[in-house]
Amino acid sequence: MGQMDVLQGTLDMLILKAVSLGPLHGYGVLLRIQQISGDQLEIQQGSLYPALYRLEHQGWLASDWGESDNNRRAKFYRLTAQGRRRFNAELEKWNRMSDLMASILSTRPEEV
Amino acid sequence: MSLPSRLHSFASSLFHRAELDRNMEAEFRFHFDKYAEQLIQSGIAPDEARRRARLELGSLATQKENCRRSLGLRLWDELIADIRFGVRMLRKSPAFAIIAVLSLALGIGVNTTIFTLAKSVLLDRLQVPDPDQLRLLSWTSGKNFAMESLWGNFSDEGGAAHSSSFSYPVYKALRNQTNMFQPLFAFKDISQMTATVDGRAEAIYGELVSGNFYDGMRIHPALGRGISPADDVEGKANVAVLSDAFWARHFARSPDVIGKTININLLPVTIVGVNHPSFTGAEMSRFPEVFLPLSAQPTFLPRGKTGNLLTDPNSWWLQIIGRRIDSPNVSDSALESALDTPFLQVVKSTVTIKEGHDDLPHIRVQPGRRGLDYAKEEFIRPIYVLIALVVFVLLIACANLANLLLARSTARQREMSVRVAMGASRMRVVRQVVTESLLLSLAGGVGGVILGYLLRNLLPRLSSNPWEGIGLHPRFDLYVILFTLGVSVVTGLLLSIPQAFQGRREDVSSGLKEGTRSTASGHNFASKALVIFQISVSLVLLFGAGLFLKTLSNLRAAPIGFQPDRIVLFEIDPPRSRYTPEASLPLHQKILDALVAVPGVQSATLSSDPLVAQDSSINRFQRNDRPKDSKAEAWENNVGSNFFQTLQIPILAGRSFSSSDILTSPKVAIINQKLAHKYFADENPIGKTFNKEKYEIVGVCGDTKYEDLKSEAPPTFFLPYTQSFEANVTYEVRTFATGAEILKSLQQAVATVDKDLPLIHIRTQNEQIDATLSGQRIFALLTSAFGVLALILACIGIYGIMAYTVTRRTNEIGIRMALGAPRSKVLRMILGEASILTIIGVVIGVVTSLFLARLVTTMLYGLKPSDPAALSSAAFVLVAIALVAGWLPARRASQVDPMDALRHE
Repeated sequence: MGQMDVLQGTLDMLILKAVSLGPLHGYGVLLRIQQISGDQLEIQQGSLYPALYRLEHQGWLASDWGESDNNRRAKFYRLTAQGRRRFNAELEKWNRMSDLMASILSTRPEEV
Repeated sequence: MSLPSRLHSFASSLFHRAELDRNMEAEFRFHFDKYAEQLIQSGIAPDEARRRARLELGSLATQKENCRRSLGLRLWDELIADIRFGVRMLRKSPAFAIIAVLSLALGIGVNTTIFTLAKSVLLDRLQVPDPDQLRLLSWTSGKNFAMESLWGNFSDEGGAAHSSSFSYPVYKALRNQTNMFQPLFAFKDISQMTATVDGRAEAIYGELVSGNFYDGMRIHPALGRGISPADDVEGKANVAVLSDAFWARHFARSPDVIGKTININLLPVTIVGVNHPSFTGAEMSRFPEVFLPLSAQPTFLPRGKTGNLLTDPNSWWLQIIGRRIDSPNVSDSALESALDTPFLQVVKSTVTIKEGHDDLPHIRVQPGRRGLDYAKEEFIRPIYVLIALVVFVLLIACANLANLLLARSTARQREMSVRVAMGASRMRVVRQVVTESLLLSLAGGVGGVILGYLLRNLLPRLSSNPWEGIGLHPRFDLYVILFTLGVSVVTGLLLSIPQAFQGRREDVSSGLKEGTRSTASGHNFASKALVIFQISVSLVLLFGAGLFLKTLSNLRAAPIGFQPDRIVLFEIDPPRSRYTPEASLPLHQKILDALVAVPGVQSATLSSDPLVAQDSSINRFQRNDRPKDSKAEAWENNVGSNFFQTLQIPILAGRSFSSSDILTSPKVAIINQKLAHKYFADENPIGKTFNKEKYEIVGVCGDTKYEDLKSEAPPTFFLPYTQSFEANVTYEVRTFATGAEILKSLQQAVATVDKDLPLIHIRTQNEQIDATLSGQRIFALLTSAFGVLALILACIGIYGIMAYTVTRRTNEIGIRMALGAPRSKVLRMILGEASILTIIGVVIGVVTSLFLARLVTTMLYGLKPSDPAALSSAAFVLVAIALVAGWLPARRASQVDPMDALRHE
């Protein structure tokens, strides 16, 4: 299979990242994640909305109804100030974690 | 994660459910359309595209539910579903629902009623701003205290005297003494004043207040102005503020009342204001109707040696209240020490201190949020007993309902098993049970609030005399509703406990099997425990009913020593503003003459204390021919010359009083047998003298009850009222017939002497005696009613459990009979089971009763709290009724046809 499924938890990060680039409706979030991953990532459509609602409930996303490209009413999500702070913090944690994992996983026997 | 944003989103999704739904649908629809569009563009056929889009996105309902869960709405959604389901289940068996809600409403309602009463006795505060800042001053001292004359509350326990009465000079000296208090203010409740409006005289309750009282309490009259410092000056004191009730009664709430004149104790005062309905004086449970400045005392209510208490440092009568400054650093004991030194100074410099009476008082600072508070002392014990009673009633109602619910849940076992089998967690099933119980108990709680509201004045009415009005006005407010809510929730949780436990025992696979009975033992055990509990609580209540009924009948049967039939009592209180003590003697003589002249009157007399009316005067008793004994005392009563004839009290030795015992003749006294026995033993008391007035004993009379029926006749001496100055007296008039006409003639007779004198508290001697029994009557009534209720519920319980047992064991009984067991044996077997339950319940009940009965010892008369007759009759009644309740199912069991029974399975 050419596409990877998204781990639970990382979905939140992906959504926050996608929305941090500009307000998007739900379907737009899906498209943008697929687009920036070069179609490498497949997001379960069923789990997208519960995640969006949860993030909004937690106050990291806010939403407004607006016009989409072909003049249909759609709900646009944007990052709140609080969400941005949170995203930056999570990002830093993520980077540290992945550095750590990378260095652990690349350890060779003679280095121990 | 910020809490406010969560709460906001939670709340908005709760309250805008429809909008949330619409928005979700629109959003998913948009997504679906977009996705389908994209698929079509990538070359997939429209139908196939839509099918794939639907598959990927999942069903709309699932999506919605998942999103709602993300919003933290899951618990809420499940709760709503549980409630809907519960309501549907109850609708399916309306008879059960009605019985359950009604029995709970009864159980909760009586609790609400008693709580409302208890709150007014124990918790309610004066309706003034910041009542918690108020402090009531009082003093304690050794028992040989220096105050010569005390008017007001006083207690003498453990060798220490305690009172909240102060002299006016002390108040004046302390008023601005410390800056920890705002200026102290003072008041005095006057239990009897005569108010004359439009020529009609009426006895009312009044209050004297200092000029800064309204400022200190921070209250404003509803109309006009309050008493001001400018009024509190002698000579300017002829102003009055009315209570809302008095205003409504006499002036129909007309605003023109300001500036009108009424007479108080026959002297005119100008009305300057009307109090707000919420302010009913500075004493809890008393309702003064006219407020006068303190400076009115010498003119309107002369008292004491000179008539003027304001200048008398030896008369202690005034209540002092302060509003403390709001500072957490100042403790009440700091307030005490700040006031104690100046207090001692003013006591030493003003009070005449005599030898032997030289214990100096110390100031005490008490909470003043309830003002002067007699109600608490008076009612606290009965209230606790009432609370215990109603809690028992609620527990019985709960037990009964829990049993019904258990039976229902056995019937619903399959449903529960199906739920568990379909993947519901145990917790989820228990939650459903709790929700249904809470639904019932909250509905019962609503009924309870209604019942409590309807009954709120019942007990105060039962406990008060028709001629004195109601002493308690329980406030039915938000706290009562909150209390009822709390009780309902606790009740609901209690109700669900047995079912929840049963649910735990359940085994899913066996629950699903047709006709299985594997869990019946679990149900049986819980039910049996509940029945035993019901029996024991019923026993406690029946035993209590027995104790109180016996007390009541003992009191009624107690010899009182005089003949109370056809005696009319009323008080006359000639105001000292018109009658000096000397002038009141001929007044009373004139009234007596007028009364005797009324046709239908057999004889008339008067006394300073009416008998069996909770009045008493205690005086020193010192034989002149014996060394001084400062502890010797006796009860005193000042009576008319034919007191003994009128009340038919026998004179056992010597003579009765006669009309020749007058002010100028030698002072005489009659003693009762008790006193003769106590102080003269075998000597002949006739001719002996006592006390410094050298009263000569001229007769000995039979013993009579004095204060109430409960106390033994105390040693008493009687003095002729013509040789003492007793202003406020009670008339005893023996008539040939009773009825309203004779009362009218009596009133007219008094009016011929002085039309401004109201007849106060008119009642018959028997009504008077009955009134002292109100407490016992209430308890006898309530315990009997609750006891019978409990008995009925327990019967239903026993019947239910035995009937269930018989149904369950029909098969077994059939086998037994087929194998040759006689019917009588089957009958005995079932009855035996019922008896075991009953006996266990009775034993537990007896032990509990004996333990609890000790708490009501002081409320009983003529029997011990462990009265064997009451206990055994309660036990007997219970066993008998329980056997009858068990007999019906037992008979049915014995009439089982073995063939039918074996086919039954």
